[in-house]
Amino acid sequence: MTSTTHTVCPSCGGPVSDADRYCEACGTELNPAAAGAGSPNTPALDTDTEPTVEINTAPPVGPCVSCGGTIGADGYCETCGAKAAKVRDHFSEQPSPWVAGVCDRGIRHARNEDALAIAADAEPGSRALLVVCDGVSSSLDSDVASLAAARAARDVLTAGHAQGIGTESSRASAIVARLKAAADAASDAVLENTSPDSPNPASCTFVAAVLENGLLVAGNVGDSRAYWFPDNSAPVALTVDDSWAAELIATGIPREQAESGPHAHAITRWLGKDAPDHTPRTTTLKVAEPGWLLVCSDGLWNYCSEAAPLADLVRQTAAAAGGEPLATAAALVDWANAQGGQDNITVALARI
Amino acid sequence: MANFTAAVYQNEFLPDGGTDVHAIVTVNCTGAGAAGQSGSGDAGEIIIVDTSGSMGKDGVQAAAYAAQTALDQILDGVWFAVISGNDRAQLAFPPSAEPVMVKMDPYTRQAAKDAVARFYADGGTAMGTWLRLAGRVFATVPTLSQKHAILLTDGENQHETPEALTQAIQAVTGQFQCDTRGVGVAWQVDEVRRIAQALLGTVDIIPAPHQLADEFAKLIQNAMARGVAQADLRVWAPQGAEVLFVRQVAPTVEDLTSRRTAVNALTGSYPTGSWGDESRDYHVAIRLAAKGIGQEQLAARVQLAIGDQVVASELVKALWSNDEALTTRISPEVAHYTGQTELAEAIQEGLAAKAAGDTATATTKLGRAVQLAAQTGNEEATTRLRKVVDIDDQDTGTVRLKRTVEKADEMALDTASTKTTRIKK
Repeated sequence: MTSTTHTVCPSCGGPVSDADRYCEACGTELNPAAAGAGSPNTPALDTDTEPTVEINTAPPVGPCVSCGGTIGADGYCETCGAKAAKVRDHFSEQPSPWVAGVCDRGIRHARNEDALAIAADAEPGSRALLVVCDGVSSSLDSDVASLAAARAARDVLTAGHAQGIGTESSRASAIVARLKAAADAASDAVLENTSPDSPNPASCTFVAAVLENGLLVAGNVGDSRAYWFPDNSAPVALTVDDSWAAELIATGIPREQAESGPHAHAITRWLGKDAPDHTPRTTTLKVAEPGWLLVCSDGLWNYCSEAAPLADLVRQTAAAAGGEPLATAAALVDWANAQGGQDNITVALARI
Repeated sequence: MANFTAAVYQNEFLPDGGTDVHAIVTVNCTGAGAAGQSGSGDAGEIIIVDTSGSMGKDGVQAAAYAAQTALDQILDGVWFAVISGNDRAQLAFPPSAEPVMVKMDPYTRQAAKDAVARFYADGGTAMGTWLRLAGRVFATVPTLSQKHAILLTDGENQHETPEALTQAIQAVTGQFQCDTRGVGVAWQVDEVRRIAQALLGTVDIIPAPHQLADEFAKLIQNAMARGVAQADLRVWAPQGAEVLFVRQVAPTVEDLTSRRTAVNALTGSYPTGSWGDESRDYHVAIRLAAKGIGQEQLAARVQLAIGDQVVASELVKALWSNDEALTTRISPEVAHYTGQTELAEAIQEGLAAKAAGDTATATTKLGRAVQLAAQTGNEEATTRLRKVVDIDDQDTGTVRLKRTVEKADEMALDTASTKTTRIKK
């Protein structure tokens, strides 16, 4: 009785297939009956698609965070009924005090298909690697694939530490080359986590930012973004989305209008088995003053897409959080959830 | 070996500040086997027949024939007895001054049939005494795990007070299950329904004595096909939550809320009697403390248990959302059975008002019943209602009470008021 068959998305009219869980164009959940009224609710919260990567499979451990009760085998507290937190739904990383990120399920989605992997050297402002991948929710197992991709990319970026010799431009080229290798590794990780006969192969976006010895290189595939918000200069969007909306913007349609259209979330490039091309488009920048490096998924920028207001938001949030990157990232996630939390939210920050 | 499965139907999305969670839990049983053959204990069957003077010679003969037909359907090896009741109860078979049961075999079956053939109509009606005797008779066989009776009456319970009947019902509740049938139109539906509901049985009217035998055979066949002697519905609700109600809603509406016994501080157990290969639906309503948008929690664990063994389990969830598209969706199953429950109430209240001469209330209630029967697709109820009211407009529930109504039709509407239809898929 839940086998609602769509050929077009009921929301935007875009083409969809039976196997799609969400409309690829507008993100509308295609079979909400499976998660709501009139259906056995067992599959509603996707216990059948429990992610398989280590961080995801952490069984519900320890006492209930709400009341201290025992968590039952069904994943709910035996005393207060609170759902045991899934690590995959909300996690944070802080490799060094000046670099941190938070990855959150948001409110509307049943699972967290965003992923985050970051690394940093201890000395503030020295070297940081931030990777965010956003699993495409219309494909299967994107939560597994996105996390594997982000980690594979981070590992490639971490391993290829430049030795500080050569000219600035040769160092920049080396970082760009590593970023491309990281995208290759991320793509391979997605493929490794895709069932060969999947009707809907896993796919995700990719954005990585590398700060090394005053050079900042960012590259992306899809619509996850990197920004540089210097404290005393104009904010810089380091990436251009590979998206329908971005193509519209390129033709002169105002950003606000383009990004609120029915196909605003349709991306034109991604990582995955059916990806046409996954070479990241890169931007290189010399960091000349203190500021915030932000790498994020659309769960954040959906609510604040222009660089200037987003810079203001980050600066104000950071000020309220005492300039602490982890607290700031967490506060930005909370802010996005307060705006509706329509999508998974990932915020990674480096204070440079 | 019986196999139970459960499925839950609900809209788990609650709006900001929402507290009440409703769910329909369907429990299905297959492979139940036959009564008394599951290895967990013996089955016992008692046939209770009204032999009061009002039954008359023909009535008693028809009842005796029906009892004989019923005896034919009791499986060999099942413990049984026959009680004849008027203003007091007598053990008609086995012929004994003390309560006793015997096992069915070809010899005892024939002996019982011979005993039943000697029924004669005499005396008054005191059903409480019949129930108490049945309880004592069942108690003589300690190996019984499944105890079922059928009770036939034709008249009002004139020879004992309503309080005495209530006490008798309370005394035997939980000891055995009892399906009740009234023959003719001189008996009181409320009175007999009270017995059936307390003893987890059914109630129905048999308009004419010649229809008795078929009905008795069917009742015993059903009882013999219930290989699961006893099962309980268990409902866990979180600390601080309130179980608003627990109702069986299919095949009939039965409010189980007051039948709760505590398994532990958070879990209640509700007796469901014996099970054959069948499906039953339960409506569970839980009131929670509201949580924040985006939070999820379990509202109930609904389980079927045989003894201490949980054989089927489902989860009722709550998820707070600010998305109206999700929170305003109404579960069709919950809506359907909410309507069917109201339908049962409207019929019973309408008929009670009609009996009390309150035409206005009767017209309103039965009109509402017509409307609900149409909305929920309960065509049987519509058919029965048509015999009591003239329907001007079923969508608005506009009806007129019929000037002349067959008493049996009115009673059939009343006894069948709790029967529900399943939602059309």
